[in-house]
Amino acid sequence: MSKPSDLVQGTLDLLLLKILALDSMNGWSISLRLRQISGEVLQVSDGSLYPALHKLEQEGWITAEWRASENNRRAKFYSLTRLGRKQLEKETAAWDRLSGAITQIVKLKEA
Amino acid sequence: MSWQRWIYIAPLRLRSLFRREQVERELDEEVRYHLERKTEEYIAAGLSSDEARHAAMRAMDGIERHKEECRDMRKVNWLEDFWQDLRFAVRMLRRTPGFAAVVVLTLALGIGANSAIFSVIDGILLQPLPYGDPDRLVIVWENNLRRSNPHNVVSPPNFLDWQAQNHVFSGMSYVSDLRGNLTGSGEPEQIVAEYVSVNFFSVLGVNPVLGPGFKTENGETGKDSKDRVVTLSYGLWKRRFGADPEIVGKTIELNGKVLTIVGVMPQNFSFFIKQGTLSGEKPELWSPWVLPAAYHHRKDIGRFMTVVARLQSGITTARAQTEMTAIATRLATEYPDFDANWGASVVGLREQISGDLRPALLLLLGAVGFVLLIACANVSSLLLARAAGREREIGIRTAIGASRWRLARQLLTESILLALIGGGAGIALAVWGTNLLLAASPSNLLDMEKVPLDWRVLSFACGVTLFAGLLFGFLPSYISARGAIAETLKEGGRSASAGRHRRTIRSAFVVAQIGMALVLLAGSGLLLRSFNLLVRVDPGFDARNLLTFTVTLPSAKYGADPAVLAFFRQLVERVSKIPGVRSATMESYPPMSGLGAATSVHILSQPAQAPSELPSAAVRVVGPDYLRTMGIPLHTGREFSATELAEMRHVALVNQSFVDKYFSEVNPLGQKVAVHMKSEAESEGQPSEIIGVVGDVRLIGLDTPAEPTVYWPHPELVYSRMTILARTSGDPMAIVSSARNELHQMDANEPMASVVTAEQLLSHSFSRSRFTTIVLGVFAGAALVLAAVGIYGVVAYTVAQRTSEIGIRVAMGAQRHDVLRLILAQGGRLIVSGIALGIAAGLLITRLMAGLLYGISATDPLTFAAVALLLMAVALLACYVPARRAMGVDPLIALRYE
Repeated sequence: MSKPSDLVQGTLDLLLLKILALDSMNGWSISLRLRQISGEVLQVSDGSLYPALHKLEQEGWITAEWRASENNRRAKFYSLTRLGRKQLEKETAAWDRLSGAITQIVKLKEA
Repeated sequence: MSWQRWIYIAPLRLRSLFRREQVERELDEEVRYHLERKTEEYIAAGLSSDEARHAAMRAMDGIERHKEECRDMRKVNWLEDFWQDLRFAVRMLRRTPGFAAVVVLTLALGIGANSAIFSVIDGILLQPLPYGDPDRLVIVWENNLRRSNPHNVVSPPNFLDWQAQNHVFSGMSYVSDLRGNLTGSGEPEQIVAEYVSVNFFSVLGVNPVLGPGFKTENGETGKDSKDRVVTLSYGLWKRRFGADPEIVGKTIELNGKVLTIVGVMPQNFSFFIKQGTLSGEKPELWSPWVLPAAYHHRKDIGRFMTVVARLQSGITTARAQTEMTAIATRLATEYPDFDANWGASVVGLREQISGDLRPALLLLLGAVGFVLLIACANVSSLLLARAAGREREIGIRTAIGASRWRLARQLLTESILLALIGGGAGIALAVWGTNLLLAASPSNLLDMEKVPLDWRVLSFACGVTLFAGLLFGFLPSYISARGAIAETLKEGGRSASAGRHRRTIRSAFVVAQIGMALVLLAGSGLLLRSFNLLVRVDPGFDARNLLTFTVTLPSAKYGADPAVLAFFRQLVERVSKIPGVRSATMESYPPMSGLGAATSVHILSQPAQAPSELPSAAVRVVGPDYLRTMGIPLHTGREFSATELAEMRHVALVNQSFVDKYFSEVNPLGQKVAVHMKSEAESEGQPSEIIGVVGDVRLIGLDTPAEPTVYWPHPELVYSRMTILARTSGDPMAIVSSARNELHQMDANEPMASVVTAEQLLSHSFSRSRFTTIVLGVFAGAALVLAAVGIYGVVAYTVAQRTSEIGIRVAMGAQRHDVLRLILAQGGRLIVSGIALGIAAGLLITRLMAGLLYGISATDPLTFAAVALLLMAVALLACYVPARRAMGVDPLIALRYE
């Protein structure tokens, strides 16, 4: 995948919201988690992660606070806001609709 | 939903704005933390600490770019950037004050001139007229088909038939003005009164601010002589009656008759259709007037009224015109003696009022638009040149992560800042220029003392400013953004491709500028030549040291003709004896005032015809010593004798035009003519014998050729209003108080009106041409300078760009004149293309101003050739300055210049 970021761009927001819905995390941990859950399929470069996070923050969907990390250094931890939870529901629903539709089409073609 | 969002967002935005440093620190720290953890991970995987750090950086893939993306997410960037750009722009401008000054001045000139002209145009052409629903008001004229004068005053019987037969007007009203002496309560003064039909104000849709105004019974037949009422203009009420709030019900004395005041009109109310007035001045009071029974018959009364009418709703002017033409055609068949060859014209009131000035103002508006375009092209060109000088800076900014849009924004900020400063200066110039324009304008043409610079004009100026800013800000930004960055850096700031674009565009600007300058110069040159021709026109009389003033005798006091005759004879005699006066005379109308009476004449040796088919002539009534005082030559025959000047002897003088036109093969002396100034029977019964032929005088104005004219001694037609003319040996104004003394010794209640020298009347007669000529001349001058600056800029820039090339050429043996030719050839190509373009456009455009020209064709080849040469010379001079610099290039220094 030479440049998956375009494809991922819309879904990156959804992924980040989903990850943060489970737990509040700092940027580094999020990058690890992304790699871990999506394997090699979705590659998000370390660089483009931060603009995405800052965007969600500025939209008011996630909020940040500085606290000690697991190795006891200061790090910026993001967590979901009430607004973010609503957004997550909305985007999940939209994703379900879209992926469902695509799955249908793909199956049709196979048949 | 949205307000909930703002609970989260607002603190973030504020923080980004006002705690910027902290936010930046946190961004750094966040990224650093990530890098450290990544580095640790790579070290754990077995890399050396240096390698690990590099690998971590690479994984981040352009840290600064991503940081910039993070900053963009804050959405307050634009504000910060704007502030930063603004400070940067101010710094840049302060570093190049010369450039800034030229740009600001150029813009101020363009914007200021535009706003000033627009203010005046707005005042005259766009301001709503002070009447109710003014768009439905029209003036109805008689159309004199034989003399091709579509705007002829109207005869009362025709008016009555129009009124009875039309189905297009909801109301028709007539107006006739008269000069009157206002006496009682203070100094006697001469004012113009308008005698109007009783429905005049209701047709116009205007009510008095004070008092009930006219009532219907004021217009009933038989009420004419009693119950005389009058409404005053606001100005007269304030000036003469001290704005007395109890004025209604009081009386005034006009021409010795007592009138009861029933109203004061609003401050902005006036009704003045210059073409239809007899007095040529704005009326200050209005009195209802019923057409007397005698005026219902075409034999007894001529044409003298102005008719204003209100269209019924849904009726267009064109529809009304069709109907009026049909009615006029009917009347022409019914009354062939009087109405043959007469039609009717319907003209919108607005068109009628602005008609005189419209072409001149639109011409100026066009000219000023050209100046603004030239100014914009110049500024754009200057900014382009500067952008070229900053290519390297821009290349570096791009390389370290500035987006194209961000760069364009920076350049735009700079140009908008320039535009704003220029616009501010322009508005100041507009205020000043508007006043100047009004001061320089012919006072009687513009019906306004002050034109306010209102918000519409301001927004116009701001619109122009913003448009100019965007226009000339956008082009350089666009071109810079297209520059290939890598090449720019490689070539040390001289990218070939971007440079070519820029040169092409700047060259196009220069060609356009020169073209527009040529059009302006041609227009201005035509006006100047036409003005010159006009000023040199011989008016036919000697205007130097000639005083004129007007005296009107009220009929109530001097009813009988002999009293009037005696009064004026004595007055002229007294004036002629004032020390410093060489001779004195009088005439029925002042020369060059645009006023006069004309009628049909029947030359008895020629067959009789219907009055509408007879030749026509102007009629002037004169006093003793007329030819000598005026300096008019007597071509043949003799002057009026003392007897003829004292009593009616049926004699007349005619002018040369009269002879040329009507007596081509006969000796005019001794011929008899019936001049139809009185009723037809009376005129035919008392024909005048021609006793002499005099030189032509331009009576109406300098630009109007002399008409066939009949001169009568005063007893032939006893006017109670005469203009006294005194030929003085020194300054004519010096005898004014002596003349007033003489007048007041005869009658202390007689005002001396319109005191003016003949030279002033002359200069007045071409004041409009002078006004247009001066203003357009200024614009053309500005255009010439701007175009010269434009071509200078382009050529100077090329010389700077080609310094090393020129150095090489010189090193290879090129002579100074080779270098000169090289540079001038480049400039010359632009100049020639510009001039060719300008001549082509000019020949099309100047045709539109044919109506403003006198004695010269709108495509006069001499003018075009002259301005083309002038422009060529100035432009070549502008090229020569940088070319000289190029000739002085030292090859050693030039080659090192790299």
